[in-house]
Amino acid sequence: MIEKEDPVISEEEAAQYDRQIRLWGLDAQKRLRGSRVLLAGVGGLGAELAKNLILAGIKGLTLLDHEQVSEESCRAQFLVPVSAQGQNRAQASLERAQNLNPMVEVHADPDRVEDKPDDFFLQFDVVCLTGCSRDLMVRVDQLCSQHNIKVFCGDVYGYYGYMFCNLGQEHSYVEEKLKVVKPSPSSNDGPEAKKAKVDPNETTMVKKTASFCNLKEALEVDWTSEKAKANLKRTPVDYFLLHVLLKFRTDKGRDPDPKSCADDSQLLKQIRDDVLEAMGLSGDLLSDEFISYCFSEMSPVCAVVGGVLGQEVVKALSQRDTPHRNFFFFDGRKGNGVVDYFGPN
Amino acid sequence: MAQLVGSLRKELADSLSSCKVLVVGAGGIGCELLKNLVLTGFKNIDVIDLDTIDVSNLNRQFLFQKKHVGKSKAQVAKESALQFCPSANITAYHDSIMNPDYNVEFFRQFMLVMNALDNRAARNHVNRMCLAADIPLVESGTAGYLGQVTVIKKGMTECYECQPKPAQKTFPGCTIRNTPSEPIHCIVWAKYLFNQLFGEEDADQEVSPDTADPEAAWNPEETAARATASEKDGDIRRVSTKEWARSTGYDPIKLFNKLFKDDIMYLLTMDKLWKKRKAPTPLDWQQLENSAHPQEESPTTSGLKDQQVLDVWGYCQLFQHSVESLRSQLQEKGEGSELVWDKDDPPAMDFVTAAANLRMNIFSMNMKSRFDVKSMAGNIIPAIATTNAVIAGLIVLEGLKILSGELDSCRTIFLNKCPNLRKKLLVPCILDKPSLNCYVCASKPEVTVKVNVQKTTVLSLQDKILKERFGMVAPDVQIEDGKGTILISSEEGETETNNNKFISDFGIRNGSRLQADDFLQDYTLLINVLHTEELERDVEFEVVGEAPDKAPPPQSNQEEVNSITNGNKDSAQPSTSSKAAADDDDIMIVDSDEERGAPSSSAAVTTSTKRKHPDSETSETSTKRPRTDQSAAAAATDDDNDDIIALD
Ligand SMILES: [Zn+2]
Repeated sequence: MIEKEDPVISEEEAAQYDRQIRLWGLDAQKRLRGSRVLLAGVGGLGAELAKNLILAGIKGLTLLDHEQVSEESCRAQFLVPVSAQGQNRAQASLERAQNLNPMVEVHADPDRVEDKPDDFFLQFDVVCLTGCSRDLMVRVDQLCSQHNIKVFCGDVYGYYGYMFCNLGQEHSYVEEKLKVVKPSPSSNDGPEAKKAKVDPNETTMVKKTASFCNLKEALEVDWTSEKAKANLKRTPVDYFLLHVLLKFRTDKGRDPDPKSCADDSQLLKQIRDDVLEAMGLSGDLLSDEFISYCFSEMSPVCAVVGGVLGQEVVKALSQRDTPHRNFFFFDGRKGNGVVDYFGPN
Repeated sequence: MAQLVGSLRKELADSLSSCKVLVVGAGGIGCELLKNLVLTGFKNIDVIDLDTIDVSNLNRQFLFQKKHVGKSKAQVAKESALQFCPSANITAYHDSIMNPDYNVEFFRQFMLVMNALDNRAARNHVNRMCLAADIPLVESGTAGYLGQVTVIKKGMTECYECQPKPAQKTFPGCTIRNTPSEPIHCIVWAKYLFNQLFGEEDADQEVSPDTADPEAAWNPEETAARATASEKDGDIRRVSTKEWARSTGYDPIKLFNKLFKDDIMYLLTMDKLWKKRKAPTPLDWQQLENSAHPQEESPTTSGLKDQQVLDVWGYCQLFQHSVESLRSQLQEKGEGSELVWDKDDPPAMDFVTAAANLRMNIFSMNMKSRFDVKSMAGNIIPAIATTNAVIAGLIVLEGLKILSGELDSCRTIFLNKCPNLRKKLLVPCILDKPSLNCYVCASKPEVTVKVNVQKTTVLSLQDKILKERFGMVAPDVQIEDGKGTILISSEEGETETNNNKFISDFGIRNGSRLQADDFLQDYTLLINVLHTEELERDVEFEVVGEAPDKAPPPQSNQEEVNSITNGNKDSAQPSTSSKAAADDDDIMIVDSDEERGAPSSSAAVTTSTKRKHPDSETSETSTKRPRTDQSAAAAATDDDNDDIIALD
């Protein structure tokens, strides 16, 4: 849980974080200041996310990644120096990550996320998973939601990317609303302020809650019911694309690789057909077009998805503003970014 | 199956490594953009920025660290980005893009120009340069959680200036000098006062009571009489404020009593002003000092010192101390020197905080913390890393479409704070065709301007109309009188003697036509002059076909106002533009947008009439998109821009 202590924001921090304190306020900044985040998977999207969270000024970030630096795994990864080929990806990212903001405690952990005991995850307020298998994500999501730890998942596949979040059954947050200033004869914002008006500088905080489901539920939506079928037209196809790409990862133990482009393209087609059939849906739902655009992590797509994901983590930790519930999908060819809910109603 | 390099088709990857691109601005968006470009495979990149690094940049401009504060943004950004790809060929310019060295030839060497700017003047200029060189431009902006990216290509899409931008809100002189009704009026007054006392004096920045306020007079004769009377009204008003302040040795208490007691007493004599308003209450130093409670050191609260609101005596003391500090600053700079107001200079900021709050108190307003006054006085736009990251990612994606020859699939994309009713957080919209009567990109740009030819000087034609309003950098003006009389020449020393003459002195009258050229921008504008004697007070000219001071758009539920914003303008100087901040420093857009999320920044709302078509892939054909919660309001004000392209 977020630490109860009320960390004092120093004048030094106030100067560095000035432009964001003016946006989300001092309370939100204090909450960030007391939060610890685990980031499993330090590829292109992971690097973007790490940058955004370190700049925002959280208390601590742990980079967990067992992979070695390779050209393909680091195409969009700006935290790894070019000279670090063959080194552990988390450790190779540490120095640059730390340089982004010396006020944040950044750690590198070269272990496999699969090998971590349950206890390990419980020391964090938020756990972010990128590049992980579906099974692992489901396991960690279930574990964390039992302990009131917020979970975020995300990946980038070529021009496509997504984010999932589970902030628990009852996530409380505040939202800022402008205050209607009642006219008062003695003191108000000016002699001419006779009628009630909103002062752009006077706001109040409104308390709200939002409810989230587990990743397992979100991925196991039943598409055979009439209601679900009726909704199909308004459902972003990106959701089904995600299923296809997660299945590819499960089957091959890796993501589509430009080096085996032809074979992987065939396999993607096959998996697309299988996945949609298993859901009781037509294979036409997802045309072949995606296949040539879903290879490798693309830097600008990592920037977009990492930006949205990073801001959602900031919102969750600072308990401020309505969270996106519960998926965000980005299609870099269309420039389209959709937020939609999947799971039990 | 095509061959892939990473995510890209090989042909595209090859063209990226051979083409040359220009990034204008190395701030919030620029840092993210440079990273994305080198990681995507761009190898030849020029980057230009006038600014140096400030500590308040470090929360988002991630190519900079504390040790870089004070250094050139372009240079440090280049060095940091090179670490991501040492084989890239990056050229950094620590300069203004409006410098004439960067001419049309310079622009022609690029395949693509990407703006990562924070002010309208530079955006206008780059727009013209790209039109003149016929180079595609990706334009962008962010403010807080909101952002926008768009593509501009000569002859195919709207240019940056096709849609009129909302005029920057200015306040009538008499509101500032006589009848402030909002804190912002007092803050503008305090900034004027700073310049009057310590900086460059400007006749448009008077702070003393305006005796010619038409509202103060029961009849016109009385106004005239009063105006005449004030001319003789003793030495205080006859000498300039600065002269007088200097003669007192910048005595804080004497200054205080003149500004917050005597001048207010004088205002009280203009009794008609206070028939329908609450009259101001003068402050008296001695009285306040006598009744002041000994300052008890408040126990350390969890808040920031800057966010506390002091009592009146606290602001009196702040006024005293800041005047003393500024006086020594002046003395150190030597005889005849001037100070330039800077929100990041503590005594200058303290002075404005104190003076504005004292005036707010006099006019019965709630006083504001230094933190809040700084937002308003410095026109600070809140800025975060994540918004810039998203926008910079979108810029590169649009750039890739341009380089693939897929201009048809380029879009304007808006980043909202919350998804709209069609679930979109990022909303792509089809690009519009160029506006036929755009005063920039039309084949023969032409405008009609209403002025009083007997009251408009050549200098104000040049500075206020041609430079400020029509975005020229170095205009030449010729009168179409059959003789080709040169009114203004951009060559130094040729027409300066004309500056203080009225344009009627050169035969300009109703129906006259002027040809204005900007050689650098390769831009010619034909101006039709309409003479009028009926402009409002404080209004020097009006462009026909455009409301002089547009009202904010209706905030109805059917309207979605998306906006491109200034970018994260947060220094006193517009970066990459040579324009002095003083031009527009005091001009703010103020508005009360009820959806606005940011607590302490002034909101700018956009007023364009433009309507965007939602992207064609959706089934809805309506051009009206429902407005979503908080997506619409851009909390954007800026030193010299408010660049908001509003769409709905
Ligand atoms: Zn145009």
